[in-house]
Amino acid sequence: MILIPKDIFSKLTFLIGGSNYISNSPSGVYNYLGVEFLAELSKNLLSQKDIRKYPDVATFAFWCRNSNLKKITHNPFNNNLRVGLGLVYHNSPSNVPVNFAFSLAFGILSGNSSVVRLSSKESESASFIVTALLELLNISKYIEMKKTICIIKFDRDDEVNKFWMSNADGRVIWGGDITVAKMRSYPCKPRSREIVFPDRFSLCVIKASKIIESSDSNLNKVCENLFNDIYIMDQQACSSPQLFNWVGNDSTIKKAKDRLWPLFLKYLQKKHSLEPVQYMNKYVDACINAIKNDNIKSINHENNVLFNIELSYFHEQQQLQRGYFGTVHEISIKNLNDLSLIIDDRCQTLTYFGFEVEELKNFITSNKLRGVDRIVPVGKSLDMGVIWDGYDIINHLSRTVDVY
Amino acid sequence: MIDIKKYSTFSLTQPEKEVFLLERLNNLTEFHLENCPEYFSLISKFRVASSKAKNIADIPFIPVRLFKHIDLLSVPKNTVIKTMTSSGTSGQQISRIYLDKETSAFQVKILSKILSDFIGPKRLPMLTIDCKSIISNRKKFSARTAGVLGFSMFGRDVEFALDDDMSINFHRVTEFLEKYKDENILIFGFTSIIWRHFIEELERLEKKLNISNGILIHGGGWKQMELQSVTNEEYKKRILDTLNVKRVHNYYGMVEQTGSIFMECECGFLHASSFSDIIIRNPENFHLKGIKQNGLIQLLSVIPKSYPGHSLLSEDIGEIHGIDNCKCGRKGKYFKVYGRLKNAELRGCSDTYT
Repeated sequence: MILIPKDIFSKLTFLIGGSNYISNSPSGVYNYLGVEFLAELSKNLLSQKDIRKYPDVATFAFWCRNSNLKKITHNPFNNNLRVGLGLVYHNSPSNVPVNFAFSLAFGILSGNSSVVRLSSKESESASFIVTALLELLNISKYIEMKKTICIIKFDRDDEVNKFWMSNADGRVIWGGDITVAKMRSYPCKPRSREIVFPDRFSLCVIKASKIIESSDSNLNKVCENLFNDIYIMDQQACSSPQLFNWVGNDSTIKKAKDRLWPLFLKYLQKKHSLEPVQYMNKYVDACINAIKNDNIKSINHENNVLFNIELSYFHEQQQLQRGYFGTVHEISIKNLNDLSLIIDDRCQTLTYFGFEVEELKNFITSNKLRGVDRIVPVGKSLDMGVIWDGYDIINHLSRTVDVY
Repeated sequence: MIDIKKYSTFSLTQPEKEVFLLERLNNLTEFHLENCPEYFSLISKFRVASSKAKNIADIPFIPVRLFKHIDLLSVPKNTVIKTMTSSGTSGQQISRIYLDKETSAFQVKILSKILSDFIGPKRLPMLTIDCKSIISNRKKFSARTAGVLGFSMFGRDVEFALDDDMSINFHRVTEFLEKYKDENILIFGFTSIIWRHFIEELERLEKKLNISNGILIHGGGWKQMELQSVTNEEYKKRILDTLNVKRVHNYYGMVEQTGSIFMECECGFLHASSFSDIIIRNPENFHLKGIKQNGLIQLLSVIPKSYPGHSLLSEDIGEIHGIDNCKCGRKGKYFKVYGRLKNAELRGCSDTYT
């Protein structure tokens, strides 16, 4: 057990928990109680009638449903004993509120106690999940779980950060470069482990010829997938695609674009609208972008739900040329290999359409790329999993006891 | 520069006015395309209409917020004689508007034309509901400074009703009112300052003034009033109660288009003069909205030449109530402004730590 000193305790607001002790005794990886708890949480969330209002919460709930947990925990080949590290501290992000729940779930699955700091920004999605967690933790069979989950808020404070960093056996730091650097500045236990999520940049590659060859119904499916990638998280997640790379010769690309984008816009107009101020924000961003960056060739926005920003060449710092709420930066390249110019260790997710997986794997290895941690089809950019950002998270947050 | 004497301020019908506006605005677009590289880059990348618009709705516009992010000017920097800045009340970045002699002079001329329609051609004794220190820094212009200074040119014997701590100086006020009791006087100030530091203060002190010879002109935005849920009707009523001023005119305008303000008429509508116009657009696609449909206000003005501000898309929501047929007799479009776009939750990529 870890005692939270009075001066630290008084600075914390507890959303879940509230005892001045928090357990740091590990449980087994994929321990029965933890898995059952998450499965029940999923059931409870999905059965609430308001769930439709929160697609991000629904995604989380769907992810931790019983059948998916079974898939994750199924590991027939390993006789080793795996147990948690003890106490894991999570600094959760504000741009994707629901990630605090994924982070907590990773902590539970890996057999750890978790202290989760929520962003000071209010989020309805986060509150929705916290309420469901609270209800579940009050059921007597989860009394042991109760000692291992603590969800808190506090104003930025060196002493509090220092306390958690010096007591945590593992830390999961979301929130980008600045937060990662800040949290690393605190001393931590010699054997503590870390998982950090700094700023990342994500891309999409589309083989133009495959768009032309696609049937109308297939293209509608592509639109739905693009919608999921671009609009569900407003392009604010690190895995949200920022730069769309059309691969092919100029005339094929032109034909492909002329086919896809009008269809996509039609799909969007039926499905999605933004707050008026967001249209304005996108517009102003695009104007500033146009003035400041010579690599912008043209900007199209027939409807403000979608801005297409065509680039004539890569920006020196392409990862900084970003857009939100449906701002598609796009560029034409002859060959997949042209893309290697801008891929460095900051590049996270590569979504693809029209490519074979082998082609893409080969692209990563033959160009000896330092980046790309995920290669997934369009539509899957936001699918969170226990492998993320290049980490096998459950492995990283647990120790393997070698047994033979 | 065009000879504005030829044009009456409020008697051109919309079709007559558009002929004149279109030519002038097309010329301005062409001028800015040639002289402001940033403007050229923006307009060409968005591939919007050229300088040959056939209709005032086709004049390319830029977002008014752009001036908060980028320095835009169409004249050599050494000809700039004044830099105006937006008030930046919300702690946001401020706009910078660069004026040369020509544009600055033009602002005064147009403002004078518009105002004289409401207060007559003669200068009136002017009581400013603000403190004198607001005009002490002459090189840097906030919207408040610009407003006070701009209007002062149309008044004489300008007196300030407030001390530097924003309290009412009754000695100065009563002396001023006594001295000019037999003629019309102009009372000018910012909407929220008049309210907070004059009307509410007088009410608190249970004092009333009798300025039945006053014409009160106020502007600067309703944001503060909205926060206190004060409507224009309530505002006028309380002014009548405490000051006995019957002629109260709000104006709508922005530092990015100083001079060509939109004055509220006797019927409670804002009016576009012959030198400016408004267009209402749908925020979703920037398509035109019809009469009595609300949307984003685009402002056109013949004034801005030293910076590309002749056609600006604002973040204000408004509605045109009619064209050429306001009961006050003024021609052109008349409209109402309902406030700013609501600032939705900006999720941003900022992190938990900061």
